[in-house]
Amino acid sequence: MNTLLSEEQRDALQELMNISMGQAANALARLISAKITLSIPKISAVTPHKFLAMLTKRTVWYTRQSFLGAIKGEVVAILSKDGCDAIALLMDYDLPLTQDTLNELLLELANILAGACLAGFAEQLSLKAKLSMPTIFMPAALRVEQYRWASTLIMEVEFKVEASHFDSKIVICLEEASVQTLLATLQQLLE
Amino acid sequence: MPIPVTIADDSLMSRKAVRRAFPIEWEVDITEACDGKQALAAVESGKAEVLFLDLTMPELDGFGVLKYLHEHHTKTVVIVISADIQPEAKRLVDSLGAFRFLQKPLQSEQLREVLFEVGLI
Repeated sequence: MNTLLSEEQRDALQELMNISMGQAANALARLISAKITLSIPKISAVTPHKFLAMLTKRTVWYTRQSFLGAIKGEVVAILSKDGCDAIALLMDYDLPLTQDTLNELLLELANILAGACLAGFAEQLSLKAKLSMPTIFMPAALRVEQYRWASTLIMEVEFKVEASHFDSKIVICLEEASVQTLLATLQQLLE
Repeated sequence: MPIPVTIADDSLMSRKAVRRAFPIEWEVDITEACDGKQALAAVESGKAEVLFLDLTMPELDGFGVLKYLHEHHTKTVVIVISADIQPEAKRLVDSLGAFRFLQKPLQSEQLREVLFEVGLI
């Protein structure tokens, strides 16, 4: 990946991510009236094997949403089980959460974070990408062959909700052809 | 006489975006800073009558720069351009005496309005 991305391109991608995540964090912060801390976006290339290895934690929930358009890929939201109740309360859910209301909460959070994040990303690049509805994702049931991409660009950022233990990670995975589209568009922003 | 302005942002792309958003007729002498310390150095050496300031930067962040300028009663007009647009960040920026808070991605129309309000164009 270091050879695929120049320093300038990496900078540009990180900044695009920063801006998109800033919008996502703002959407969530206003909804729950709490401050959100964002990590510096991490950009890397992974194989499906490595990617699946990222998805084996028992302390988190996963959701996935695919997107189609000028760029194609998937957004995976990784939401900590820890602190989920606190967020549920802030979002006016009744405790204890049932399986149904938990799923609803996770999908709602995924939609806010991934939706705002992908929208911001596509908008800045003037690329169209349509996000599907999120689904709860059970990585354990997934096999490597089910992944259509060979090696891909992964952009991840971490959201932490201040004064609670909740944190979440949004991972955008792009298909290989989309990486080329992305880099070509980035070039225009760098001129 | 061109006005000395400084663009402080650790992202090259964002510094370029700010340059691109400047009105063409605006005569400026641009200095670029990649972190808060460089931004303050630019202010100290008279290169920043207007400072376009990012908040998330290494060494010294934008809040640190604002705090220093606020405490030292510097006359620099600070326009914050930030990706962190949460209410809390805005409040803090306001209390530290920034002239305006603009959100990224920067829209050239918005920048023009602000420059007009300050009487710079």
